[in-house]
Amino acid sequence: MVTFVIMAVFSVVGALGVILLRQPIHAALSLVGTLLSVAVLFVTLQAHFLAAIQVIVYAGAIMVLFLFVIMLLNIEEQRRPVMPALRWAAYALGLVAAAGLIAGALLDPRQAPDAAVVRETLQGGNAELIAEVLFGEFMLAFQLVSVLLLTGLVGAVALVQRGPPPGGATRADATRADATRADAARADAAGQRSGGRPPDALEAGGR
Amino acid sequence: MEPLWVTFLKALVLCLVLLGAFAYMTLIERRILGRMQHRYGPNRTGPLGLLQPIADALKSVFKEDITVTNADKVIYVVAPMISIIFALSAFGAIPGGPAGSLFGLDPWIIDLEIGVLYILAVTSVGVYGIFLGGWASNSKYALLGSMRSSAQIISYELGLGLSVLSVIMIAGTLNLREIVEVNVWSVSPWLWLPLLVAFGAFVVSAIAEVNRTPFDLPEAEQEIVAGYMTEYSSIKWALYQMAEYVNMMTVSAFISTLFLGGYRGPTFLEPWIPGISEWPIIWLVAKMAIFMFLFIWLRATLPRLRYDQLMRFGWLYLFEVALGATLLTGAVIAFVL
Repeated sequence: MVTFVIMAVFSVVGALGVILLRQPIHAALSLVGTLLSVAVLFVTLQAHFLAAIQVIVYAGAIMVLFLFVIMLLNIEEQRRPVMPALRWAAYALGLVAAAGLIAGALLDPRQAPDAAVVRETLQGGNAELIAEVLFGEFMLAFQLVSVLLLTGLVGAVALVQRGPPPGGATRADATRADATRADAARADAAGQRSGGRPPDALEAGGR
Repeated sequence: MEPLWVTFLKALVLCLVLLGAFAYMTLIERRILGRMQHRYGPNRTGPLGLLQPIADALKSVFKEDITVTNADKVIYVVAPMISIIFALSAFGAIPGGPAGSLFGLDPWIIDLEIGVLYILAVTSVGVYGIFLGGWASNSKYALLGSMRSSAQIISYELGLGLSVLSVIMIAGTLNLREIVEVNVWSVSPWLWLPLLVAFGAFVVSAIAEVNRTPFDLPEAEQEIVAGYMTEYSSIKWALYQMAEYVNMMTVSAFISTLFLGGYRGPTFLEPWIPGISEWPIIWLVAKMAIFMFLFIWLRATLPRLRYDQLMRFGWLYLFEVALGATLLTGAVIAFVL
């Protein structure tokens, strides 16, 4: 219980930090703190597998990518002028959403199961139980989510394409370009050969 | 279950042993590098240079601790601590011997059902130390180093994770102790032989994960001074060094545990010295030594990869090889066995 209270406070403070801190890196780190606190909460429920996955996937991969992008773009503390009307609309929407969440949580007739029951059900949070549920009962949802993620990935690659490098790329260019870009360029060139349409047209058509 | 204070004491001893091993690994590394490059290496401080690590430690502690004026102060101080804390915690899950073999105690700190994932998770958080240190220094070389390291570690984590899958599929468990015991498998007591491809992919990704030559781009001294460590001095710099060597030891122990039968000793010695294969710690350390030597050997032998080569190798070759090995292992388990 003590651990729960401490970690709950940590995760809420971290979540507040994400939206209140000005420096983007600090905000991202604050999110890492929240994710790690949630992982510790999983551990208190004996859901070790979930905790490890939470750390590997969110803290170890996704947040590192976030930070990477923030550093790459070199976003400094910047405050764009925000339209006051828009700001108030955002506050109102946020309040409505928060009220809805709290009301939903309070009005839900189902009782939250006791921690001991959860612990019993998770059986030390072993991977087999989760695999049975994930690849049995929720197989369709699992597949759909996979397709959704793949769509996002393809979409992101399509968006960053700026056409193939003109004719013979210089050696310095080739050296500088990382594998992903080289890949993208190659896929792009292949697409042009088969489709015969420049990527910009593709992009415009997509919109 | 042992009482909490025993676990705590064991953790303390393990930390001290790891840090002592770090100090002498630096000496061993420099001596071996010297030998491989036809020079002596440090041999002046004490017999065989054995006092050199102590002199180095004193020097690190008493040097001026410089903080860059424009650094992000808090993160600049916390980053090396993150590195060393997570490096030390990762080792705790590695089993050093059969249950109760260490003077009646269990030779490990924690026995987790998900030991493999625990080590992967803890090491993946340790990256933040390198990453944030480089950013907080507010220096271009340091920033370049930390960007390189994050891109590299994300890329090679895939190869690492995929090649572990083969072992997990055969062992049918994520518990490191059970993986070691499962190694008494009808084909071979050592998993590296039937899983040669996965083993190779794992070792290569592991070297990349600990930023060792030929994957030491984050601290390439000819290009970016010392990468993420450029602006660090004194004890903070020493913490980064410790983290690097402790990570090397963890990775060596992890490879030994997954592929080489971990703490299990050679059974053919049993007729002469009964019970020798059950002795704790020493067999694990012997297997770790092989990989530590391999890391040093590679450092003396191989040139550093260029950045685009690194990325291409990780994504176009290592990833595919690891994926293929995983699929093959899965197919063999499903259709042959």
